[in-house]
Amino acid sequence: MKRYRIALALALAGLIALPCAAAPADQGRGLAAACASCHRTDGHDSVIPSIAGLDESRIVHLMLVYRSTDQGSQIMHVVAGALSPEEIEAVAHFVAGHPSGTRP
Amino acid sequence: MKSITRRALAGLAGAAFLPAARAATSPAAPRVVIIGGGAGGATVARYLAMNDKPLDVTLIEPKQRFTTCFFSNLYLAGLRSFESLTHGYDALSDRYGIHVVHDRGAAIDPAAKTVRLEGGASLPYDRLVVAPGIAFKEGAIAGYDEAAMQIMPHAWMAGPQTRLLRSQLEAMPDGGVFVIAAPADPFRCPPGPYERASLVAAYFKQHKPRSKIQILDAKDTFFEQELFQDGWNRHYPGMIEWLPNQFIGAIESVDVKDRSIRTADQTFKADVANVIPPQIAASLAQQAGLAGETGWCPVDPATYESTRHPGIHLVGDAVSVGMMPKSAYVANSQAKACAFAIAAALTGAESVRPFLYNTCYTFLAPDDAVSDAISFRIASGKTEIAEILMSTLDQSPAQRAEAVREANGWYDAFTHDIFG
Repeated sequence: MKRYRIALALALAGLIALPCAAAPADQGRGLAAACASCHRTDGHDSVIPSIAGLDESRIVHLMLVYRSTDQGSQIMHVVAGALSPEEIEAVAHFVAGHPSGTRP
Repeated sequence: MKSITRRALAGLAGAAFLPAARAATSPAAPRVVIIGGGAGGATVARYLAMNDKPLDVTLIEPKQRFTTCFFSNLYLAGLRSFESLTHGYDALSDRYGIHVVHDRGAAIDPAAKTVRLEGGASLPYDRLVVAPGIAFKEGAIAGYDEAAMQIMPHAWMAGPQTRLLRSQLEAMPDGGVFVIAAPADPFRCPPGPYERASLVAAYFKQHKPRSKIQILDAKDTFFEQELFQDGWNRHYPGMIEWLPNQFIGAIESVDVKDRSIRTADQTFKADVANVIPPQIAASLAQQAGLAGETGWCPVDPATYESTRHPGIHLVGDAVSVGMMPKSAYVANSQAKACAFAIAAALTGAESVRPFLYNTCYTFLAPDDAVSDAISFRIASGKTEIAEILMSTLDQSPAQRAEAVREANGWYDAFTHDIFG
């Protein structure tokens, strides 16, 4: 899949280190809670876009880009930088599975 | 679902009915009581109420409507209405089934696991969360008592104090001097006093351009100092004077008769004085023995359980956790870690690694905001800063204006995350 290619490309470029431990599936819930401090989860954009129901591979792609550079957003660079690729996958999976109005 | 209504709860006078009513509606659900409905406490309540397995969640908050400290400097500058900073608890009670009780925690009995409220009710709990915010250290500034606060407001707990300071600034004649006394670390909202100076300067620039602002600081450096001083030079040249401790000496006393503030070396007379006193965890935390010698409350960095009283958790400005600043964002971030830990302990929910962040938008001018972002990690039982990034001096006006837009959007999303 595309997201693995991106992750691999970034890893090969030396931009990220792939940790060995996989994130438990439920970490996605804890991570999505962190997103909700700035992103509404009910589909309403508030300048900062809502993340409800975003496409999973799109989230993974963007998070890996944010992780690799602070050009797009310093805040998202710090947020993504604290996460392993597995945790990024977990949050993307969780957010994509929870369209607007569902519980984080 | 918990069918007891907010109205029914509000009508309760006695102690006995409350637990009985809850037992009838959700017999098996473990009970969590949360004291304090600010950014920390309300977030804990909301995330516990969203747990897969039901929890019986009670939020104790004296105020019917809560005004946020964050963004209140925009109100002081006339850039935001007081109403836009004020939030009710209807969503938390109606949509999330949280029992919101407008009362004040009076005493905690950790052995019996009960909280007594000022109104007389006694609430049993399986876990208690204390999110009481701050108190001012008594006697730290001589003469600065309750009566003095009505003349030289602190406006560091949002509400009537914030309105009082705004009305004094509006009434101040052009050419007046606005003096801010800023405390030593740690205190609520590290950039707050300097953002206040910036935004009041923006108001003066437009309405009272001959006025001056003096900041009497108990410190010799402050957070984001370069960014602030650059902003002051660009937007309000000559208007803001920052006087660090090493030049003026410690802030010692106030005199309400002539609105003066005395330091070890000098006396400063103000037309409007804003005294932000040294702070400690609020009194309930002190009474209950949850605070240490510093005046702040030590907690486990992953679960936010008190290290002094097991079964009681604390979040927000009252706790002391490594280098975490006392901000609403940190309180909200801690609250989620705390809620997931309590859910795991009481309902067997899978435990979730805490993801702890701080982000902060700070206004240098109505069209010029900066931001910072911090990620935290827990290493050897301590909370450390993993990464910190701040806005830089070379950002373009367009980038700073974009941060203003983003900040306003953030306020909307963030307050939804707290109050539902």
